[in-house]
Amino acid sequence: MKPAVVPTVFIVDDDGGVRRAVQDLVESVGLRAEGFATGEEFLRKKRTSDPCCLVLDVRLPQMSGLDFQRVLANFGIQIPIIFITAHGDIPMSVRALKSGAVEFLTKPFRNQDLLDAIQQALQRDCTAREQQNEVHELHERYLTLTAREHTVMDLVVDGMSNKQIASEIGASEATVKIHRGNVMHKMQAGSLIELVRMADKLKSVVAP
Amino acid sequence: MGVITDVTERKLAEEERKTLARELQESNAKLEEAQRVAHLGHWEWDLQTNVIVWSDETYRIFGLKPQEQPMDFATNRGMVHPDDRESLYGRVDADLSAGAYPIAEFRVVRPNGEIRTVHAITSKRWSAPLTESNGASPAHPRKLFGTIQDVTERKRAEEKREALWRDLQASNARLEQAQRLVHIGYYEWNLITGSVTWSDELYRIYGLTPQAGPIDMAMVSQMIHPEDRERVFREADEAARGGIAAAAEHRIVRPDGEVRTVQGHGAVKRDAAGRAYEMFGTVQDITDRKRAEEALRRSQFYLSEGERLAHIGSWAFNESGHYWSDELYKIYGLNPKNGAPTVEQYLALVYPQDRAAVAESIKLMLEDHRGFDQIERIVRPDGQLRYVRAVAVPVVEQGVFKGFIGTTMDVTEQELLTQELRRERAYLAEAQGLTHIGSWAANFHTGQNHHVSNEIYRLHGFEPDNGLLAADSFYKTIHPDDAPIVWENINNAIHARKDFEIPEYRICRPDGTIRFLRAIGHHNPSGEMGEFVGVTMDITERKRAEAEHERLRQLEADLARVNRVNMMGELAAALAHEIKQPITASITSADALLRWLAHDPPELDRARAAAYRIEQDANRAANVIDSLRSFYKTGTPTERRVIDVKKIIEEMTGLLRGEADRHSISIHSELEVDSSNIMVNPVQLQQVFMNLMLNAIEAMKDSGGVLTISSRFNPEGRLFVSISDTGIGLPTGSAEQIFEPFHTTKPQGTGMGLTITRSIVESYGGRVWATANKDKGATFHFVLPCEAKSQV
Repeated sequence: MKPAVVPTVFIVDDDGGVRRAVQDLVESVGLRAEGFATGEEFLRKKRTSDPCCLVLDVRLPQMSGLDFQRVLANFGIQIPIIFITAHGDIPMSVRALKSGAVEFLTKPFRNQDLLDAIQQALQRDCTAREQQNEVHELHERYLTLTAREHTVMDLVVDGMSNKQIASEIGASEATVKIHRGNVMHKMQAGSLIELVRMADKLKSVVAP
Repeated sequence: MGVITDVTERKLAEEERKTLARELQESNAKLEEAQRVAHLGHWEWDLQTNVIVWSDETYRIFGLKPQEQPMDFATNRGMVHPDDRESLYGRVDADLSAGAYPIAEFRVVRPNGEIRTVHAITSKRWSAPLTESNGASPAHPRKLFGTIQDVTERKRAEEKREALWRDLQASNARLEQAQRLVHIGYYEWNLITGSVTWSDELYRIYGLTPQAGPIDMAMVSQMIHPEDRERVFREADEAARGGIAAAAEHRIVRPDGEVRTVQGHGAVKRDAAGRAYEMFGTVQDITDRKRAEEALRRSQFYLSEGERLAHIGSWAFNESGHYWSDELYKIYGLNPKNGAPTVEQYLALVYPQDRAAVAESIKLMLEDHRGFDQIERIVRPDGQLRYVRAVAVPVVEQGVFKGFIGTTMDVTEQELLTQELRRERAYLAEAQGLTHIGSWAANFHTGQNHHVSNEIYRLHGFEPDNGLLAADSFYKTIHPDDAPIVWENINNAIHARKDFEIPEYRICRPDGTIRFLRAIGHHNPSGEMGEFVGVTMDITERKRAEAEHERLRQLEADLARVNRVNMMGELAAALAHEIKQPITASITSADALLRWLAHDPPELDRARAAAYRIEQDANRAANVIDSLRSFYKTGTPTERRVIDVKKIIEEMTGLLRGEADRHSISIHSELEVDSSNIMVNPVQLQQVFMNLMLNAIEAMKDSGGVLTISSRFNPEGRLFVSISDTGIGLPTGSAEQIFEPFHTTKPQGTGMGLTITRSIVESYGGRVWATANKDKGATFHFVLPCEAKSQV
């Protein structure tokens, strides 16, 4: 978390009273807050890369909060969600949490619980963002490898010796060593273990 | 005879003698001629010698030639008719003995057998008395001289005249008799002298003693009925002046005051100059005939009037023809001018279905002389169908068949009435059987039943076919506990002469089953004491049904209450949500307020804003609680207000959104913008919306879906609301049943939601119904009439 950046808390609740109160509360603890009456309004909002989280009311006109969570996932928008509801029940909360919600609070909730949940969500968002950044960087490095180097990296990660790789790709062992050295250098990997960890992280973005 | 001596004298005497002889001869000849012309002969009978001398004419009278033979007593006697012989000579002897000169009339038989009647007279002068032989007897003629005349012709004429006289006498008597019998008298009225003669009968006709006194025209005039007098004399006068005969019917008044009707016929006699000198006429008493005629006319009038009134026509069918009465023509709708129809024509009038049977009856009548009595249908020429009862009776006089007489009666009305009665009776019996209501007529005072319908038997557990039952049998079935009240009711009604009704009492049927009956009796005011007619009905089933109905109604009420409680549960949950919102907002705002104050320096503006929000949200919570309370006031939903339908829909949508969310149901509203005000009780309208929306949510509970509410005012200004879902849809074939109480497709449903909805909508004169959607789910519609709409 970089101190210079102020995280933003988005609030979606059709009840203006609740929306404004939560907004005010969030602001009172020095965070930025933005309120929306519907999910659609929120979707139209252009978001920054700053850390953020979403306080979402379950009962919304037209589309329920839970449906909205699904819509966000389908759009690939990853934002930690804290559900608030005046009408919660256990199945509903289980469903929400399974789908990745940070917290499920029943109105009237304790404000500290909400603030804690917001903190947690922001933290999670930061972590997620860091991880995302790391992968992104590795991927940048990965993209600098040649096709032959990609192959050699995959085989190295799979635990093959230089000799095995040589016979596999039909090259000399010396050539394989050079490729392997390039890979380690380009990927900025200090050891074979580090490279294997990097390859693991890259799995989420690079198709096998 | 003498002797004259003087010759001169002799001569003279001779001359004289000659003259005398000539004169004598002449005189004899004249006598002879006179005898011949007068058929008168003379005879001389010497009683001593019995020699008889006849003149020539006498011979002719006896059918003999003059002087054909000498005559003697025996021959003479032999020619007298044997039947007259004894009496003739007996009388002659008697006369002679008495000194009288016999006169006799007797018949003679001529030799050719001809019988002639003759009259013989003995002349006193020319008969010489007999010399007294003994002197004792009176002078007896010695010789008889007399004449004999053939009186046959005269006798015949006399006989003829006598016969004529007798005939005249007889015919007079007969005329008299006839006059008396037919009451005809005659008169002769001398027009010149004015005298009048009357026959005996005429006296009698006028009520007078025959020939009691002279009659004149003044008397006649007096006796004619004053009203007819002038007319009778005018007609007689006209007859005398111009016409020949006068015929006048008029009335007369007898001396005793009796009025008789007479018929006069008068003929006027005229002399050579054409002057009327006499009127001869007859007068007949026709009073009896007039009366008989009048009576006949009256009886004929009565007959035809009777036929007309009774719609009975009569007919006769015999060798002299076929007669139809006027009424008969009327019954058949025929014209009397065309005469009675032939058999073929008659059959053509008969209704086709009856024709064969009628033809058979007529055939039997004509061939076997068999009568009939049957009802047949006829079709009049104008197309009208009528029922007639035709009766034919053969006429047999002294064993000889003479023809038929018959009557035909129009029985259409009776027949239709009979049919109607038969039908009615069948319907009544049917109705009594179906409704378990029996009818009766009874005298409770005497304990007599006049009429008991079959259903009454069945109600009491008796078999109607087992014969009549005494009233007591029915009375005995009354349950002992109920008998006192039943009899008290009836006895009061008897004495008050009023109707009674026993709303409910029990009977024990012979098989032991208990039934509940109700009896209603109408007092028959014209009848004797205790006379009632009425009905008794079996109300057992009804009582059971009522009990069942009451039980169901109670259940319904209970369930309605449960439903309301359930609904209140839903409502409470929904309201809890609504309350939680402002409370949450308030708490959060309070926390924020505190935090703003805790800032250094305190952010007072933000704190103030938070405090303001707290106030607002707290008020909001209070309002929600107010509206919640209004739901509990459903017991008195009469208050109506002008309500914005849109607002209610929004409220309800808000209330049920949580429930919808939970089942992944989205709610859409398509609401018409203006004219959304309506005059209703808001809570009731909320209930309607809540029920229909909950119903829709329920239908989509497992699948999720879309709930759409649309509202608009249709051209007639009615509020038209549709609430549609995309759920399981309506159960097949029960689009209307779903509104019935306790109809539910949900395991936990009460089945009352839609029922209550309907009762509310209908209480506003509206209507609620359901339709299946084309693709998926169902739509519930309701309409509230415009009258409910606010005029504001």
